[in-house]
Amino acid sequence: MAALLLAGSMALAACASDESSSGGGSGSGGGGGGGSDELRIGLAFDTGGRGDRSFNDAAVAGVEAAIEEHGGEFQDLSPNADASNRADLLTQLADEGYNPIIAVGFAYGEVIGDVVEQYPDTTFAIVDSSAEEVGADNLTGLLFSEEQGSFLAGVAAATKSETGHIGFVGGVETPLIQKFEAGYVAGAQAVNPQIIIDRQYISPAGDFSGFNAPDRGLLVAQGMYEAGADIVYHAAGGSGLGVFQAAAAAGKRAIGVDSDQYNTVDDPALQAVILTSMLKRVDNAVSAFIDSYVDGSVEGGSDIVYDLAAEGVGLSTSGGFIDDIQDTIDDYRQQIIDGEIEVPTTP
Amino acid sequence: MSTVATPSGTRPSRGRLTDLFTGGGRSRRVLWLLLGVVLLVSIVRVISGEQQLTSSSTMAAALLLAVPIGLAALGGLFSERAGVVNIGLDGMMTLGTWGAGFAGYQWGWGAAVVGGLLFGALGGLLHAVATVTFGVDHVVSGVAINILAAGFVRFLSEALYSDNPAGGGVTQSPPVDGTPPTFSVPVLSSGPDLLGSLERQGWFLVSDVAGILRGLTSGIGLLTLIAVLLVPASYLLLWRTAFGLRLRSCGENPAAADSLGVPVYRLKYVAVVISGALAGLGGVFLVFIAGIYREGQVNGRGFIGLAALIFGNWRPGGLAAGAGLFGFTDALQLRSRAAVVALFLLVAILLAVLALVQARRGNLLTAGIAAVVAVAALVAFLTVEELPPGLVSFTPHLTTLLVLSLASQRLRMPKADGLVYRRGEH
Repeated sequence: MAALLLAGSMALAACASDESSSGGGSGSGGGGGGGSDELRIGLAFDTGGRGDRSFNDAAVAGVEAAIEEHGGEFQDLSPNADASNRADLLTQLADEGYNPIIAVGFAYGEVIGDVVEQYPDTTFAIVDSSAEEVGADNLTGLLFSEEQGSFLAGVAAATKSETGHIGFVGGVETPLIQKFEAGYVAGAQAVNPQIIIDRQYISPAGDFSGFNAPDRGLLVAQGMYEAGADIVYHAAGGSGLGVFQAAAAAGKRAIGVDSDQYNTVDDPALQAVILTSMLKRVDNAVSAFIDSYVDGSVEGGSDIVYDLAAEGVGLSTSGGFIDDIQDTIDDYRQQIIDGEIEVPTTP
Repeated sequence: MSTVATPSGTRPSRGRLTDLFTGGGRSRRVLWLLLGVVLLVSIVRVISGEQQLTSSSTMAAALLLAVPIGLAALGGLFSERAGVVNIGLDGMMTLGTWGAGFAGYQWGWGAAVVGGLLFGALGGLLHAVATVTFGVDHVVSGVAINILAAGFVRFLSEALYSDNPAGGGVTQSPPVDGTPPTFSVPVLSSGPDLLGSLERQGWFLVSDVAGILRGLTSGIGLLTLIAVLLVPASYLLLWRTAFGLRLRSCGENPAAADSLGVPVYRLKYVAVVISGALAGLGGVFLVFIAGIYREGQVNGRGFIGLAALIFGNWRPGGLAAGAGLFGFTDALQLRSRAAVVALFLLVAILLAVLALVQARRGNLLTAGIAAVVAVAALVAFLTVEELPPGLVSFTPHLTTLLVLSLASQRLRMPKADGLVYRRGEH
């Protein structure tokens, strides 16, 4: 009986991660024939998987845009709950002949080196991790200047803050999330050098639970609001929901991250507290990468950085909460693009 | 000589003062212990200046973090008291979160509670079928349920949320419709907020007690209230009713219980299903915090609940204390890294007292060790500004582990816990 249970659970778990989402290219109208020239794109997701209404879904949007243009189909795989099977997802996609394959999330950085070596004829891209460190010709890194976008988020927070006290909640204390922190702090201090900024991470490096712990996000943000902060910026993935909940309960405001969270929270009470979101245009980066793959212009072994100038990062305006300070924000944006302001990447 | 009568009446008086502290049975000893802890923490707060140690906000956070662990532990209590080890609590909690998310987004928070209870109970039923009817090893079945639950909820989410117009996706549900009401005690912690103004004075002991009370009485969610009340309710049910006695007899000596006409199999089923439902309720609580079901939300709380159960010596009060301890230290490390350093001072004072007591009793070795560690803790308090984040986030586990190993000298689990019972074979 126990063996049965175990076997059953394994089968279910396998089902869960193997089953393809049916979206694919069916709706795009471009999926005829199925010949070998057909574009077959593989997507391997970060923790949170398809339907996270954020990072991973932005990648899907990029792939769908590319398929709209070039035709073809795609297959996406989400990792299991503890994300221990990342490498398996990549090899599975490569074995099934998907090309190019896009790994979404810096966590793939640890495993992708071995996989790209195993499949030299497949073109890989990784979002949020550097390909230069790996040094393989068939891997491109898609990087973002999160610090620049976060700088603008800091500008918006400091300008809008009435108490001169703001906060930052990071998911996991990794160099990537520290870029958000560094930019945010620099931006806020550029507007108001005296501003008080509470900064806290939910979990330390190595423990990725901080991206998926809404209760902890809520408690950390609650502490900041009680201490007098009136705007909190989160770079904490799924834990950000808790930050919004805390903001709604305290009658204060929060800044979202990655996607336009005003449009993705599905809850009017939470929409009202989202001042703006720091957009990371993963969709642009992914569709641009597929474009260059189709053109045959992928260089490989190098990183492409999407910054403010390339519209890889920016602030959302949904809800109209920052319309009145748009001039200030545009001013700083221009200064960053012109190189007059150098945004730090480490706090 | 004694003027303070001890209700038990079995112990000779050891002097007026000793009687005052240790007489009056268990409830008075617990009261003194609680008072001592509050006094100690209060001293530490005044010396270290870490207001977060006893602030109402930390207490509210501690309660929030303790409730899901406590509910899982309560679930474990029912099951293990009936003799079925329940490693599957974590999986049952996971099932509970999914059930709450699924029912909650369609029919509101009331349905979410029912959905979570039901899904948790289903997990419990599966465990009961495997362990009671088919005699599977309890640990094997529990581990299987944990793995099964993780796969099962992913499967359900893929099937139901992938292209759901209400939102959600493979790893999360659409938002739950509404949240349960919250309560505050009138006058004391809302309106005039007497406790709040007392807390803000920063007075020694008085403000600490006010802070603790306010944290536990202000803005308490309905589910939190139910969870807290479930602790004494479980005690009454298990130790003060015939049903409870029969259930516990299944965990102590099922053969004897069977021979006296107790329906052992049926009671074990009931206990394990209740166990699953309570763990599921813990999952519901997590869903209400986030306003959504998210995969991996449980994050091992079922196992911590199990630890709290063992630390609590398989008793409701003990497991509540264990969950509370974990919740408090977790809240502290989330709110203020500096406040965690103040815990060193707490340890130093505790061990200094222990050293004195042991020295008076003549246990010089123990006293010496305690004194050395106390000095080390004091030095750590005075020199360490802030602990590295990796260590800080580990504080709750470390504290619980320490207390567990110190307090677990006299633990006694139900005698037939974890043994497969076969009628007529014993």
